[in-house]
Amino acid sequence: MRRLFAIFVGKSISILGKIFHRGSSLPGEIALKIDSKILTQFELPKKIIAVTGSSGKGSISSMLATIYREQGYKVAHNIGGSNLTPGIITLLLEHTNYKGKIKADILIYEIDERYTKFIFPFVPPNDVIISNISRDQPPRQGHFDLVYEEIKKAITPDMHLILNGDDPYLRKFTLSPNYDVTYYGIEQNQYSYFENMFSTLNLNYCPKCGSKLKYNYYNFENLGDYQCTNCDFKRPKIRYTVTNLDYEKNTIIINNEFEMHIPYSVLYCVYNTLAAFSIAASLGLNEVKIAQTISKISGTIKNFDEFQFNNRLVHILNNKNENNSTFNQSLLYIKRFKETKTIVIGWKEISRRYNFDDLSWLYDIDFEILKELNVDKIVCVGIHRYDIATRMKYAGIAQDKIVVFDNLRESATYIKTKTIGNIYAILNFDYVVPFKEVMKEAIK
Amino acid sequence: MKLIITHLYYDLLNLYGESGNVKALKTILEEQGIEVIVEFKTITDDFDFDQTNLIYMGAGTEENQKIVLKHMLKQKEAFIKAKEKGTFFLITGNAIELFGSSLTQERKKTKALNFFNYTSTEEPFRIVDEALFKCNLINDYILGFQNQNRVIKNNKQNPLFEVVKGTGSYPHSKVEGIKEGNFYGSYLIGPLLVRNPSFLKYLIEQLVHYYNPDYQLKEFSLELEMNAYQTFLDNYYKEYVVK
Repeated sequence: MRRLFAIFVGKSISILGKIFHRGSSLPGEIALKIDSKILTQFELPKKIIAVTGSSGKGSISSMLATIYREQGYKVAHNIGGSNLTPGIITLLLEHTNYKGKIKADILIYEIDERYTKFIFPFVPPNDVIISNISRDQPPRQGHFDLVYEEIKKAITPDMHLILNGDDPYLRKFTLSPNYDVTYYGIEQNQYSYFENMFSTLNLNYCPKCGSKLKYNYYNFENLGDYQCTNCDFKRPKIRYTVTNLDYEKNTIIINNEFEMHIPYSVLYCVYNTLAAFSIAASLGLNEVKIAQTISKISGTIKNFDEFQFNNRLVHILNNKNENNSTFNQSLLYIKRFKETKTIVIGWKEISRRYNFDDLSWLYDIDFEILKELNVDKIVCVGIHRYDIATRMKYAGIAQDKIVVFDNLRESATYIKTKTIGNIYAILNFDYVVPFKEVMKEAIK
Repeated sequence: MKLIITHLYYDLLNLYGESGNVKALKTILEEQGIEVIVEFKTITDDFDFDQTNLIYMGAGTEENQKIVLKHMLKQKEAFIKAKEKGTFFLITGNAIELFGSSLTQERKKTKALNFFNYTSTEEPFRIVDEALFKCNLINDYILGFQNQNRVIKNNKQNPLFEVVKGTGSYPHSKVEGIKEGNFYGSYLIGPLLVRNPSFLKYLIEQLVHYYNPDYQLKEFSLELEMNAYQTFLDNYYKEYVVK
């Protein structure tokens, strides 16, 4: 009785919630209060895919949900990104009938790395994708090894894993016990490099024997074609591989055969797209149709990150504070362009989750890359403008190129009137929309 | 004048922006007309600190601490020789644990380098906190951040900092860090020297004059760093700002 009551209340709130506002995990929170074991009360679909990792969860799972829908499946997916326990319950409530049966062919859920161990026992996935484990919110997560330990506790050998084969760190999951693993990766291409470019890697030694790792090529940070200098540990056999990558045309080709558009011409986007393709393909969906769906999705969000200002191209690079990889990817992106540029760096706050303002991660980003580029000015904006400016100084940037502003509006006036070249804005996500707004205002 | 900074275990103890401290020392020493060589050494090297003027080590994962400690114990002679010679040590984050007598992990005790008597023990929770400390060597406050899973409760060494706000050596402790001769150690992670220009200046004066008492230092140019320090203090610790 209690079981049905919790589902009844939760379901009803979820319907009301849809009328008023979306994306909240309130129905799940309330249902969980009524019945703490509510997660055990659902009759789940046979097919369940979980997407976890430090970044890319949202993009990969959304793309995957669309791919399945386009091939005729009824999909339940937590599209709003509510990926903690109440969010997962809310997702189930949205798709359940009043008897607790989930009315979908397939359940696809993105799940916070640290919540996998709470959710997997009750909503056990057949297939798990772990996109990456990077430095991310250290005040909350501690560090990447702790995140690894949490996920390790959640997965069981009956689960099929889909992993980035270019990442030696993720291989730690596969050393023992034995898992059925599908790997994806990116072959050496025109953007690969051969000397390590990033000073702070998460893994420098073999997870199997502890000897130094070496790389035949790098795609980014720890990602590339690696092998141990001592034992047999090396990049595994890759089942789905990007054999051609073209940022000019915004396309990738997988396994020499399946060509598709990608949403943005940045590396994380290639990996996320490839991940979505690999899951769907490894689970038997039609590959030609998957590629078509991905191209269609990419078309709808293209150019979101670029606009013109007085014949100057403005590139918006969306980053996550306290996640050095996102910033390093932005720097790698900027490095592709040779023209004179103005760089903007800033954020409203370091974290919206907590009040800590740890600044150490600024030194895990290789801003030194900017020193080699043709930079007119580096505009540092926001509450930590001087911390950013100091970081630029220690990256070897001449001090007459560094300018600081405490607010976006003043910085925009300066950028519009006193700087030259295309504009590359390396922003935390909380500055993306406000920056676009001030850049589009008329100069006063 | 030439100084050699040896950044130890740069590829294992690199968790929280540790490289910022070495960058700050190098940049500011060079601004003073001093030639600086930064050597990067790790577990594949045999250590000999005869030429080294300052040894730097930073925070790492618990797993990497274990790997490092194993290597450090094999190189113990070199460390002891360096300490006796008066070589400067700047040790930040949980690297200070490796210089005590032991550390525990998963309730197992591991022998450490035993420079000092203290032991570091695991807490059931991770210590994550902003730090506002005082340091009797300088007039300004010390700004920093802690992120660690162990604590040091029995440090009998001369502390480096007094806790004004924050956690310190362990919850509710009054002091933090170690200052013994030319050994400077603190649980504060990341770019400690960058965030605290007065402390950076102090350490550089000590270092330079220890090796060359007659070296004439120019006025330091640390405006950006001072502005960052002052802005942070204004925004977060209003009650401590001296008008």
